[in-house]
Amino acid sequence: MRTKLIALVFAAALPAGAEAPSNALAIVGATLLGVGPQGTVEKGTIVVRDGKIVAVGKGVAVPPGASVIDASGRFVTPGIIDAHSHTAVEDGVNECTDAITAEVRIADVLDHADINIYRELAGGVTAANVLHGSCNSIGGQNAVIKMRWGKGPEDLVFKEAPRGIKFALGENPKRSNFRVPGERRYPGTRMGVEATIRGAFDQARAYKREWEEYEKKARATGVRKDKPVPPRRDLRLEELKDVLDGKVLVHAHCYRSDEILMLIHVAEEFGFKVRTFQHVLEGYKVASEIAKHGAGASSFSDWWAYKLEAYDAIPYNAAIMASHGVNVSLNSDSDELARRLYWEAAKAVKYGGVSEAEALKMVTLNPAWQLGIDKHVGSIEVGKDADLAIFSAHPFAPDARVETTLVDGTVYFDRAKDLAARSKPSPLAETPKGGGR
Amino acid sequence: MKVSPAVLLATLLLASPASAADSVIAITGARIVTAEGPVIEKGTVVLSGGKIAAVGADVSVPAGAQVVDGSGKTVYPGLVDALTTLGIEEIRSVAGSMDVQEVGDVNPHARAWIALHPWSDLIPVARANGITTALAAPEGGLISGQSALIRLAGSTPEGLTLKAPVAMHVVYPTGRPPFEFARIFEEPELKTFEERQKDKKTNQEKDLQRLRNLLEEAKAYGAALDASKAGMIPAPKPDLPMEALAPAARGALPLIMRADDEADIRGAVAFADERGLEAIISGGLEAWRCTELLKAKDVAVLLKVDRLPRKESDPYDAAYANAAKLFEAGVRFAIVSDDASNARNLPYEAAMARAFGLPADAALDAITLWPAQILGAGDRIGSIAPGKDADVFLATGDIMDHRTQVTAVFIDGVAQSLVTRQTRLYEQFKDRP
Repeated sequence: MRTKLIALVFAAALPAGAEAPSNALAIVGATLLGVGPQGTVEKGTIVVRDGKIVAVGKGVAVPPGASVIDASGRFVTPGIIDAHSHTAVEDGVNECTDAITAEVRIADVLDHADINIYRELAGGVTAANVLHGSCNSIGGQNAVIKMRWGKGPEDLVFKEAPRGIKFALGENPKRSNFRVPGERRYPGTRMGVEATIRGAFDQARAYKREWEEYEKKARATGVRKDKPVPPRRDLRLEELKDVLDGKVLVHAHCYRSDEILMLIHVAEEFGFKVRTFQHVLEGYKVASEIAKHGAGASSFSDWWAYKLEAYDAIPYNAAIMASHGVNVSLNSDSDELARRLYWEAAKAVKYGGVSEAEALKMVTLNPAWQLGIDKHVGSIEVGKDADLAIFSAHPFAPDARVETTLVDGTVYFDRAKDLAARSKPSPLAETPKGGGR
Repeated sequence: MKVSPAVLLATLLLASPASAADSVIAITGARIVTAEGPVIEKGTVVLSGGKIAAVGADVSVPAGAQVVDGSGKTVYPGLVDALTTLGIEEIRSVAGSMDVQEVGDVNPHARAWIALHPWSDLIPVARANGITTALAAPEGGLISGQSALIRLAGSTPEGLTLKAPVAMHVVYPTGRPPFEFARIFEEPELKTFEERQKDKKTNQEKDLQRLRNLLEEAKAYGAALDASKAGMIPAPKPDLPMEALAPAARGALPLIMRADDEADIRGAVAFADERGLEAIISGGLEAWRCTELLKAKDVAVLLKVDRLPRKESDPYDAAYANAAKLFEAGVRFAIVSDDASNARNLPYEAAMARAFGLPADAALDAITLWPAQILGAGDRIGSIAPGKDADVFLATGDIMDHRTQVTAVFIDGVAQSLVTRQTRLYEQFKDRP
């Protein structure tokens, strides 16, 4: 069975050149997974208008004039969200030159022409948390993107997503596993990693106070001539000040349980929250503490033993953290793995007995919450963006393949079209006809 | 949250007088995927003396046999992972735990079975998902060394080793400098595209010439050694690398040549063909572009499925559909993990090939019978047939389905523990308040 975009008879009956009466799209006949509180809907219909889901359920009427995707026998899931990605980053994902580089921005180096955007769409991925690397204790600002392949770099940005920043703990900021020419950069131990973060927030707190005092004075002096001089602006500290003010979500790369606790202590001392622990391979050892802090955890399903701090990683990590009340997502950190995150989710069923519905949330609704975009994406619900993946079979089944992926109700990947395009000769390959001088 | 039944079963079987190779075990009432013949919907497998004694729908349970109730379960032949670093790798970034790549780039005398670590924590993890045999292969350089086929059970290197040597491993020269993580921060030399292409070609030709010379020299050394043994000439000066390379140079040992690009695969096939050597391609990312050549020259491919395509303009599923294209063209191949810590994911590589066109039974053959045959052990392992090694496992369903649990693993007729470093940590922490 092939997905077909069928213009309904209503459209055909219109006089030529007339506007279609509706820009609605309906996906019919599929098993819908991740449908808000209902969970699964058999033979359901999703109606999309202006890029948003306007109706979902069994027996929902297809509006007249709507184009229809017949997905009979197929499975529709919310678009998959990768909470840890470096896709679409044009060169250099790490600003390595300093231990704290909170001022640099991934959004400045987004490469909208990265072919991996398309390849990930073909794996059902519709949004990703594009993060700075883990070279330093506090790295750069993230960019949450939607996989709007073919659009410009600024169109990739998920406009409603709150700001975020990358922190990193352990072997990578210590630079344990590689040598960099020149003198060693501080820090070289986990003690130093803590010190750099603490030092940065000490400064950020002082900077915040300076600005608050200035603003207070400025208000008091009003329009008088002797207006106070504003403090010197510091882009690095400004970002950290916004972390203190809760305006920026902290995504912290970490492995060992002790460093997870360390960051919780520092964050609580300075009064900010860690939104997600990334990788967090030993999160299962301190699951209660993570839950109590209120952080999410975004992990690999089963990677381990590639470095010392990953030796105690276990595939039961997601299940244990989830059973302790942590919001858990499974991510890729890889252009390749990102294309089969639906199977990474299935591993949570295998290792630790997470239910299939909860496992699917680990690559849809949970990462949406972790990125602060769950009001817009992450489930098939009325009012949410029509970011959807249509699978040939249950996404956890061994013969599952993504057939169609939509972002904002627009088809950005369609396997049938992709296959058809392959057999079409390239226009460049055709010999020009005529005199041709 | 169920590791326990499997662990329990394994423990029960282990506790029994499992000095084992001579005990008789009958797995009854199970669906049996034989990989060699048709699937038996409900049947019995008898393991005796470390071998498969009988398999079929009407096989009776021998008197005194220990019965394993397989109803509702599927019995599979143990999975064979034809390219790993299991046994010679522990923690990638910790040099002290790695015995994968020797210093220098000509190491024909590096032999994987010398350095096998029977107590590696990676081995039980692979085994617990049904992998019972793996090729442990050295990596890197120009001539990486010799591989060993290992069973994933045993307390000594000798006990692990099923067959050695299996092949001489060669990295077909690409002309590109080898990737070194430690050097990623160094400034690259500024060169034009043309200069780089020229460098690549020069370096590739230089390395190929070295490889040709080494093989010629080894062939001559081997001949001299033979002649001296026959008393015709005095013994040649001892030369360990040459002595180790000689069998491969005269075609007595296959060359497993790592090559991904189409041009390199074609180059490797031609290189072996010119010398009358048996080549097996490993990697094979662009094998789908040269199926006719591979078929014509009957060259087998050890294929990793879960990879990104080579070129931006390639179909997005080029690597996923690679296996199906080889299958349709009649090229011999096996699906491999090319990994150690996550060799357990071998069946899921096969699942991806299946999702992109490889028939389900071929996908299973590609991780059981075919790798066994390609590595010259098809008479010992890879299917459930009388006389073969009693390497089988029980699963709750389709082994290529991520949700399926492996509930028992037998190697040489002995029930293996399914306890791993990871299940131990799970038990230790799952209920921590």
